[in-house]
Amino acid sequence: MSTVFSEEQRDCLQELINVAMGLASDKLARFLNTFVHLQVPAIELVNSAQIPAQFEARYSHTEAALVSQGFLGNDGLRGEAIVLYQLDNAHRIAALLGYDTDSASELEMLTDISSILTTTFLNGLADQIDNSLSYSAPRVLSSRQNNVSEALQETAFHWELALKVDISYQLVDHSFNCDMLLLIPGEAVLNIQKILDRILEEY
Amino acid sequence: MALPVLICDDSLLARKQVRKSLPESFDADILTAGNGVEALAILRSQEIGLVFLDLTMPELDGIGVLEAIKQDGLDCFVIVISADIQPEMQKRVTELGALAFVHKPVNPEKLVVILKQYGLI
Repeated sequence: MSTVFSEEQRDCLQELINVAMGLASDKLARFLNTFVHLQVPAIELVNSAQIPAQFEARYSHTEAALVSQGFLGNDGLRGEAIVLYQLDNAHRIAALLGYDTDSASELEMLTDISSILTTTFLNGLADQIDNSLSYSAPRVLSSRQNNVSEALQETAFHWELALKVDISYQLVDHSFNCDMLLLIPGEAVLNIQKILDRILEEY
Repeated sequence: MALPVLICDDSLLARKQVRKSLPESFDADILTAGNGVEALAILRSQEIGLVFLDLTMPELDGIGVLEAIKQDGLDCFVIVISADIQPEMQKRVTELGALAFVHKPVNPEKLVVILKQYGLI
């Protein structure tokens, strides 16, 4: 990431993401009626082809789910947000939320949580850069029976770059980890740099 | 006489945002710190009238700073400026003695209201 963004640009992007994460955590906390311990998410920009390999280790030995949501904004801002969950975590959240444990409601729950986290996060990010986004309906790309790495490979294939946001939500009695990936086209980096420079110039 | 003010945030952008949000009428000598440990070192070595404090930081977070300020009986006002906007967090920092809780990104108008409320401008 340091080779793509200057230190000032990286700091700026990190702060925008922190604020957006704060909004998403607040929403999640209200939804779950609990307190969410917020940590600074680690961010990294990588070539999307590297993504399946990077997540292989974390998700290959566990039941995992992948939820995808496309987004489109002004100034050529577009991409696909993917949230990866370990299902054992998701089940605990499902119980907290009062979902049944059958697989139909599991899908419903995953799309619900994703839309809280992803949409709130992306809206928070867009607000700060005076943009506004529209979204496609969330799609569950894979859960339990399918191979996460294959699903990632198919999705990542359509994009050049991925902004990895490593999210860890520690609830009071539970911990809930998920990874968010923002898959974006190659030319988006230039747009992002322009946006960051514009913000940096203001201060 | 200028008020010694400390802006504590791990983000350079956030520190600049706070600095730029301060009204021109606010006569302040501004120092900055990049985490809670740096902030406490400054607070323990010199008189600081007002601290703008971020919560989520490496080394020592804002809650840790508030606890130390309380424990050491350091005499300074603290305004928390945070991305963590959960009501529970707001309650916690108020209990630890913070004057006010401001959401990030900081809104200059709201900051002015708070500074006026406490007679700082």
